[in-house]
Amino acid sequence: MDRREFLMSAGGGLGGIALASLLENDQLLAAAPTTTQTLHHPPRAKRVIQLYMSGAASQCDTFDYKPELIKENGNAWDPGEQVQLFQSSPGKTMQAPWKWKQYGESGKWLNECVAPLGDCVDDMAFVHNMVSKSNVHGPATFMQATGFILPGFPGMGAWISYGLGSLTDNLPTFVVLPDPRGFAPNGAANWSAGFLPASNQGTMIRPNSETPISNLFPPKNDFITRQSDRDVLAALKQLNQRHEQERAGDSRLNARIQSYELAAKMQLQAPQVLDLSNETKSTLNMYGLNSTDFEVQEGISEAAEIAYFGRNCLVARRLLEQGVRFVQIWSGADNGHPRRNWDSHEDIKRDHWPLGRGMSIGASALIKDLKQRGMLDDTIILWTTEFGRMPCSQGSKGRDHNPFVFTNWLSGGGIKGGTTYGESDQWSFKPADPANPTMCYDVHATILHQLGIDHEKLTFRHNGIDRRLTDVHGHVIKDIIS
Amino acid sequence: MPLFLVMFCVHSVTTASTADFPFEKQVAPILQKHCIECHNDSTRDGGLSLESQSSTLKGGESGNVLVAGKPDESSLLDYVIGPEPEMPKKGKPLSKAEIETLKQWIKAGAPWPEGTRIREAQLSQTDWWSFQPLQQPAVPSLSAENQKLVHTPVDAFLLAKLQEKKLSFSPVVDRRTLIRRLYFDLIGLPPSPAEISIFVNDPNPRAYERLVDQLLASPRYGERWARHWLDIVHYGDTHGYDKDKLRENAWPYRDYVIRALNEDKPYSEFIQEQLAGDVIKPYSTDGIPATGFVVAGPFDWVGQIEINEKLIEKKITRNLDRDDMVATVMNTTVSLTVQCARCHNHKFDPIAQEDYYSLQAVFAGIDRAEREYDPDPQTADRRKQLLAAQTTTQREYQKLVDLIKTRGGKTLTTLDTKIAQALKVKQGQGDKYGYHSRIEKTDKTPKWVQLNFKQPVTADQITLYAAYDDFNNIGAGFGFPRRFKLEISDTANFKTSKTLIADQTQANFPNPLTRLVKFDLKGQSFQYLRMTATKLTPRSNDFMFALGEIKVLNSEGKNLATQATVTTLDSIEAPPRWSRKNVIDGDYYQSPDSNTDLAQLQSKRNQLIASLTTPEEKNTLLQRSLKLKQIKKNLNQLPARHKVFAAATHFSRQGNFKPTEGEPRPVFLLSRGSEKAPMKEVQPATLNLIKGLPGKFQLEDANNEGARRLALAQWITRRENPLTWRSIVNRVWQYHFGKAIVDTPNDFGKMGSLPTHPELLDYLASRFRDEGQSLKKLHRMLVLSTAYQQSSRSHEQGNLIDGDNRLLWRMNRRKLEAEAIRDAALQVSGKLDLTMYGPGDRLFVLEKPQHSPHYLYEKFDPAKAKSLRRSIYRFVVRSVPDPFMESLDCADPSQITPKRIPTLTALQALSLLNDQFMVSMSEFYAQKVQTEAADLPAQIKLAFETALGRTPNAAELQILQSIGKQHGMKNVCRLIFNSNEFIFID
Repeated sequence: MDRREFLMSAGGGLGGIALASLLENDQLLAAAPTTTQTLHHPPRAKRVIQLYMSGAASQCDTFDYKPELIKENGNAWDPGEQVQLFQSSPGKTMQAPWKWKQYGESGKWLNECVAPLGDCVDDMAFVHNMVSKSNVHGPATFMQATGFILPGFPGMGAWISYGLGSLTDNLPTFVVLPDPRGFAPNGAANWSAGFLPASNQGTMIRPNSETPISNLFPPKNDFITRQSDRDVLAALKQLNQRHEQERAGDSRLNARIQSYELAAKMQLQAPQVLDLSNETKSTLNMYGLNSTDFEVQEGISEAAEIAYFGRNCLVARRLLEQGVRFVQIWSGADNGHPRRNWDSHEDIKRDHWPLGRGMSIGASALIKDLKQRGMLDDTIILWTTEFGRMPCSQGSKGRDHNPFVFTNWLSGGGIKGGTTYGESDQWSFKPADPANPTMCYDVHATILHQLGIDHEKLTFRHNGIDRRLTDVHGHVIKDIIS
Repeated sequence: MPLFLVMFCVHSVTTASTADFPFEKQVAPILQKHCIECHNDSTRDGGLSLESQSSTLKGGESGNVLVAGKPDESSLLDYVIGPEPEMPKKGKPLSKAEIETLKQWIKAGAPWPEGTRIREAQLSQTDWWSFQPLQQPAVPSLSAENQKLVHTPVDAFLLAKLQEKKLSFSPVVDRRTLIRRLYFDLIGLPPSPAEISIFVNDPNPRAYERLVDQLLASPRYGERWARHWLDIVHYGDTHGYDKDKLRENAWPYRDYVIRALNEDKPYSEFIQEQLAGDVIKPYSTDGIPATGFVVAGPFDWVGQIEINEKLIEKKITRNLDRDDMVATVMNTTVSLTVQCARCHNHKFDPIAQEDYYSLQAVFAGIDRAEREYDPDPQTADRRKQLLAAQTTTQREYQKLVDLIKTRGGKTLTTLDTKIAQALKVKQGQGDKYGYHSRIEKTDKTPKWVQLNFKQPVTADQITLYAAYDDFNNIGAGFGFPRRFKLEISDTANFKTSKTLIADQTQANFPNPLTRLVKFDLKGQSFQYLRMTATKLTPRSNDFMFALGEIKVLNSEGKNLATQATVTTLDSIEAPPRWSRKNVIDGDYYQSPDSNTDLAQLQSKRNQLIASLTTPEEKNTLLQRSLKLKQIKKNLNQLPARHKVFAAATHFSRQGNFKPTEGEPRPVFLLSRGSEKAPMKEVQPATLNLIKGLPGKFQLEDANNEGARRLALAQWITRRENPLTWRSIVNRVWQYHFGKAIVDTPNDFGKMGSLPTHPELLDYLASRFRDEGQSLKKLHRMLVLSTAYQQSSRSHEQGNLIDGDNRLLWRMNRRKLEAEAIRDAALQVSGKLDLTMYGPGDRLFVLEKPQHSPHYLYEKFDPAKAKSLRRSIYRFVVRSVPDPFMESLDCADPSQITPKRIPTLTALQALSLLNDQFMVSMSEFYAQKVQTEAADLPAQIKLAFETALGRTPNAAELQILQSIGKQHGMKNVCRLIFNSNEFIFID
């Protein structure tokens, strides 16, 4: 293992080194590396939160206001072309089940279902002409998470961890907060390190479970105590140091000794981060949390959605405060029964209201909370989903998949608030300008850009190809950058 | 090459002004080099394509770009001129000479020879190292001193390079270190203290050689090395993607690999079987399971099974599915990244897009699905014999039948034509299936369906047609009652006068499937007819009654039922498929079985044939048909075949996932890899980059899908294919030495690394190829070398000259892989179950398997597991990898992993400290040494020696004793498991 490989494999605690190595600049490495020194350009942001709505959240019932749908509600829907849908044949034109209203100085229209975000629209930038390459949950979920519709590629968080390294030794660089009901399609593969060193993979934290971080502490047993743990680790260090002394020149041996020290730090830090008891009542209220405990239910209910999402948003803020670089929060689990995600084939009203309220209360609190703590300036929030839903009905109350258009929004980290970029057509069926859609490559490129990374230069050679998060695509969306 | 041409055209263009401007030599290369990647017919960036004259003249979104004869008005030039030209967007600006060429060309009227198209450059150079023929280089001669260090030829090649750098091998290690190194390397387990002691004290100078042979002969060897192979082929026991359903029968392929390695199957046989074993030896234990190789990767369940043919996603799914097959096969066997040519010609290697799609066509006839095989070789053999006998007898029988038929003349021909027509009568049914009762919890609730005529009718026969449900793929005989009766009456309520026509209430009636069920009415008169199901048919968990059609025929054969109305006790009215009135609508499932005309014709034919046959012939036919019956019986009595997930052409349809039945699907060259832009259909073939080894297949029948795979397998394993042999010896080298000779084992192309020791690679590859293709022989040559037996300690001189140890002046210290750590922990704790083969061990609790299975590792308690086997037998889940193994860098089964990237992280430390598995093993380990040794010091010594292969020194003993005294033996064991010495092998 050569030096560069070693540094790479040690991952975690060595900020900015991977980026330096990909810039092929060993000179910089020799000097003490600091993050900015090795970036492609000065960054606007340091951290990212990705809010991932699993199952395909409807754009035309939340953020993408279309008077045409209200006007034509109940009439035959005729987009002027043959439409092949995932499950059904196109039904009638269908408006959102709830009212629309304008918010903020920017006058952004939001649906009542996500009204709590109304206070924040002037800090948000909307992209309404997102397009997916797949109409199927699995590949499409991969695409928004990793940039590819195939399994085996690193998640955005893994790329950023690989590129920027960590801001803290005490916590993982890339943290994933799954929906408490279970995993989205593709499971943990959505946040794997793929071909990148495993140290870049997302670490799952389940704040409400008995063991929020697996293996952080020993399971129930009759021989490990606090004292024994301390003594064993001290003895381990002695043994390992003796072992290392006889084997000079193998830096891995010392790196492994250090990894146990980092583990001990993580054991101290992580429980503190997850302990919400010192949050003020007003903060908890803002996140919609009456108490910090809740029961996980099978299906969907408004109270539960608020509790799950609010809690994950609050934990995310605390993680960022302690130096976590990338947090991914999931709303929605797999496609089992009863419905437990945004895939409202049967009934938009039944699912999107509770999910939308839960999401918007948590997300709005997160934006406001980061802002009041001065962290919104260098934290990017990205709201996404695998694809959108059709402007026509499925059955009489649901909507089928729409890979042709959906919405993303971003906030913070130098993103220009109060903007709307990329319109959809009059029905929210396709981009208004079909020749120039926005794809995840562009969103990913923009986020990397804000972090000081040129998306074309963040590469990793795997199986003969210099792989990128943005494949061979991607343009920074200059219009949404302040 | 374009650049080359441009260099001398500077002079030649200045005077050009005629229409015979050398476009193809001078202009085309410029457009090809700088423009065509984005401005071609399929990409059309900015709406502009420079592919043909017409498209160029048409211009793009911002209008014309070329005005013939007028360089000043041609914006094409504006784009590329200037200090920071707008174009090309990527890459270097055009040189002054190139711009001048373009200007002159436009000035000359922009001549463009008819039909000339600009295409992306395709590399054709094949003078790359890995494509060169394989020849066995001479073993280098060395100084006398170095010559003494040579144990196997490997050493001579290494020393020759070291000599140049004034380096040599490090000293050979002591036997204790050597045995530990060798055990982990060859079998993936630590040696026991007893095994160490025997080896260390063996006076035989060939002790090491004997140990090597002993380990290579151990079944544990196959288990260890199969894991390496499974990394490359990305084997998994679930499908991956959304839902990630279980792949219950992937394991026979895993077992095949273990078996093949243990048997030391010649490499070309190993490869051929994995690509086309079902073609080469269909009736064998290995042939079919071996093809699990091609299908080892993920399977997009939703895309294949749920998505219908009309959606573009179906095509995308199939394209990506074949892409994975092509990548798996070609990366693994010939170390070329052919998949880079999916969207465009390979940018670095001479692989055209068409070559790539030709490789996809090789796999266009197969899918990833289950098929059957005989796990027992004797059964396989017996089946093969029986099937051969069946074919022969059948042929003899047919020959005689054909002879008899020749006597039938025109009468028989006419009859046969009629039968053929009758057979063609529409099979299947419309969308109206029949009647469907309500569903019941028990089968004892009687249900009836009744025909009510306006006035009494006289009828001769009643015919029942069972329902056929092909909507849910249930098929024939759906819902036909197990017991039932037929009654006629003159009153609608069947209370007073009724006559029983058929009573099938006493015993179960065999399901008629597609056959007709007829009952004679003997000309009785009645006004009402009722069929009562007295014992319902089971579905999955409940019971119901369904019926396709009822016919009531009079003496003239006319169906009277259509005149009646239908009533039922109850009915699920779900039109069009299910409705009570469907039982008389004339729409029912038709098959040869239910075709009455056909039955009559066939009976006539039988009579005719009988009259044409001599008694002797009759006897012969009888004997033959008895023999066939006997063969069939014998076949049926063979043990049931097992299932394996393999390359499959025939399997039962599942939703929208239909078998090809051996008919390859058409494969098109896709512009930019997009299913929306098929350019032309391609034929199966392979690569054309090795001299004397054409990529074109010589197939008798190009549509024979098996022949396609076999042809590729033969191309790969041809003696003349240097890639194959270099590829495998390089891999083996990597696993022994920690670093490969070519550091990119899956990429021998231009983006890959160059070999550090090209002669050594060729030497190993040619001897391997020419001397039986035995992996075990190769292992022997490598591990018996001095290089392998060197110390792994570093020294200053070596570090200074060759810090990365690419020249092997010392052995590389091995960080154990996830599987080796887990297996070693099991073994030292006395918990390792060495049972081989069979379904994977689920080290998780499975919940909600119906839709999207949940794989819950935290709910699995290894302490309570019935048995714990080697990690090769783990059930490998793709979506949610085992967190313990994943933290230790085990391969991601979604990705082809030619080499693992070892990491050292805090989370890894936490896994080894706190994972339930490690904590449980610490307990078992402690219990074991406590029963085997008397007091704490002895127990500590024993524990230390079992795990680390040596006795602790005084200082170490003191450290461990202090822990043992205060916190007990279990904590000592936990400590040892976490030590660097347990994880790193010198």
